[in-house]
Amino acid sequence: MTALAILTALAPLTGLAAALAGGRARVAGAAQAAGAAAALGCAIALLVTLAHHQPLEGFAGFLYDDSLSGFFLLTVSAVTLLAALGSIIYIGAQEDSGELSGFQVRLYYSFFSLFAALMLASLETGNLGLLFVLVEASTLASAALVGLEGRSRSLEAAWKYVIISSLGVTIALAGTLFIYYSASALHGTSNLALTWPYLVAHAPALAPQSVRLAFLLAVVGYGTKVGLAPMHTWLPDAHAEAPSPASAMLSAALLNTGMYAIIRFLAIAHARLGATYPRAVLLSFGFASIVIGVLFMVRKGNFKRLFAYSSVEHMGIIAVALGFGGTLGLYGALLQVLNHALAKTVLFLSSGDVSLRYKTREATGVTGLLSAAPLTGGALLLATFAVLGSPPFGVFLSELTIVRAGFSRGSPVFPLLLLALLGVAFFAFARTISAMVTGPPPPAAAVTVREPALAGHRAMPDGRQPLPAGSPAPLAGSSAPPAAAATALARPYRGRAAVALTAAPLILGLAALLVLGLWIPAGLDTILRQSAAVIGA
Amino acid sequence: MQSLSASTTAGVLLDLSGAVMLLLAFACLASKLFNRYVAYYGAQSVVLAFAAGTSAVAFHSAELWILAALTLAVKGIAIPVAARRVLVARLALKRDAAMSTGLSTSLIAGGALTAFAYLVTRPALLPQGTVAAAVVPLSTAVILIGALTMVVRRHTVAQLIGWLIVENGVFLGAITLVATFPFIVEAGIFLDIVAGVLIMIVFVSGLTRQLAQASATELRELRG
Repeated sequence: MTALAILTALAPLTGLAAALAGGRARVAGAAQAAGAAAALGCAIALLVTLAHHQPLEGFAGFLYDDSLSGFFLLTVSAVTLLAALGSIIYIGAQEDSGELSGFQVRLYYSFFSLFAALMLASLETGNLGLLFVLVEASTLASAALVGLEGRSRSLEAAWKYVIISSLGVTIALAGTLFIYYSASALHGTSNLALTWPYLVAHAPALAPQSVRLAFLLAVVGYGTKVGLAPMHTWLPDAHAEAPSPASAMLSAALLNTGMYAIIRFLAIAHARLGATYPRAVLLSFGFASIVIGVLFMVRKGNFKRLFAYSSVEHMGIIAVALGFGGTLGLYGALLQVLNHALAKTVLFLSSGDVSLRYKTREATGVTGLLSAAPLTGGALLLATFAVLGSPPFGVFLSELTIVRAGFSRGSPVFPLLLLALLGVAFFAFARTISAMVTGPPPPAAAVTVREPALAGHRAMPDGRQPLPAGSPAPLAGSSAPPAAAATALARPYRGRAAVALTAAPLILGLAALLVLGLWIPAGLDTILRQSAAVIGA
Repeated sequence: MQSLSASTTAGVLLDLSGAVMLLLAFACLASKLFNRYVAYYGAQSVVLAFAAGTSAVAFHSAELWILAALTLAVKGIAIPVAARRVLVARLALKRDAAMSTGLSTSLIAGGALTAFAYLVTRPALLPQGTVAAAVVPLSTAVILIGALTMVVRRHTVAQLIGWLIVENGVFLGAITLVATFPFIVEAGIFLDIVAGVLIMIVFVSGLTRQLAQASATELRELRG
């Protein structure tokens, strides 16, 4: 079983091996996807064993797996698999069009696999110090992905990301320091005093003042990685500039890894300080994030930034759910982690296909997606409804659980506020996306012009102004029939296999979301209940 | 693992190291030359290595000796030399003019942050009379001033140095508060810092070149 746990973290490194061996984009991508599939298989096998056995411990607490880590392993490895599948076509098309050199492609897969492996490893350690080391290392690996395209915008985003996250994680290190100090009354070895199951078991002996400070520092520090407001400022830039599959990894895997770190500190703080103090901290940061996320979603512009602010909002919702607490709140929080991860992966992967076709990342530059690329457009639309919490998708169920948890915990002010903010988010988000998917596609010529700069408003070739916001179809007269226009859109890839491969991660993700919205498998239910008990319901 | 008493020789030396590190952090905040940033950071790291050595003598700990040697080699020598060669010399950086506040304002803010550090760490948290009670406020102040440097300076190299000063502050706190983390963790943190500095150097050089190219293009476009 120990071997299985180690294999889970090592499996994604196939991408690194393929890249080092000099594989081209599609070969390395296939290797990466195979590794990610192996990791997912291992995670599921591990989860099945963990559901019926004691937590797995090894190497003096440096390796520790319980239901909670198993659940996050499942989430992160599933996202890695979908993103790796999406990378095959996306990175391959960019290599073919010359936007990425062979070296950049190898760089991409090297850091992609390191990033995935480091995140999975950080979920499997019981030592808070090693957790810090691995989280910081995963920051560095993902920063290379953000800066991959090497333009000044992406370098700037990568710089902002690496410097803000490193500072944040350093603050979390200070928090780790104080939790270690709080245990100085215990007579454990130095390893044990940083191992969180030991700390939870001996919670009454911890120094309460230090635990308070440590929890606050950990929420601020790891909250920087999660994207909790007001430490979220790196997030929209990094998500907008990274290649789309890497954005999916950032939004759906990295943020959740940060949240996992906060949850581990929450378990200790809950065991020592009770519910009131952690609740106040998490509700404050959670609502701040939801408000900031929703406010910035109202603005139109780069659609990847829109998704990024939606991530800020969802991380806020998860923090609020953790703050509500109780079995219901924690259950909802964890379910929301999985659902949001799946929905956001589908969104970012379909947005990658959109930017390949339209050569822009501005929402105003995209119209008529449903007729130009029915599969991508349909996936984008469905994933939009999923992420906004419409039934029958999973997010609806988890948000309903969270709101119920809020009402069952005293004051109805917080859940009502949450509901109101969710409503605003729905309109802000759907307004932009519906303008993108409906209407006729832009005239063919506008799209076939190859512009390396994806940013800003593209001027139309005949000198007209760019499409104004909110009016998706001003093209009457000059517009070709949709079918003809669609054939002249940039065609980043050809052949049935490529189309099927593009569609595969989108359909898989949406299918999983649909299943989770209709029926929660009994095994998953057990795992979620066990995890909630670990956190301290 | 007990905390040292503040009145022992080791305690006094640690206290002194903390004070010198705080002064060097202030010097960095007040400086306007890139060369000086790197020099002050290097000096601060050497003092940190000295503090780790003092702690190693007091606790008879081999791990702390290794930590002191690593600090001296990596932070005291390797990073300053690399920063000077690869960034300051190659990118021809001299004066740093990109500040978001005046120098005097940022120094006053630094003073206020130091007072704040004493205010929040003194009461109830730390047992009186131990070296931790004396040094942890100092290390907190170093952390805050490093962060302030990152905020008031807009140049990427200055921000990088600010982050490294924050790291030094955390390490000073670690040495006095809990003597040491488990060694694997300690080594991992060092690896992270080295990898972090490397990747940041790549970004900084790339950004500076792109900006230089951009201004050169503008010049060409403006020509008759």
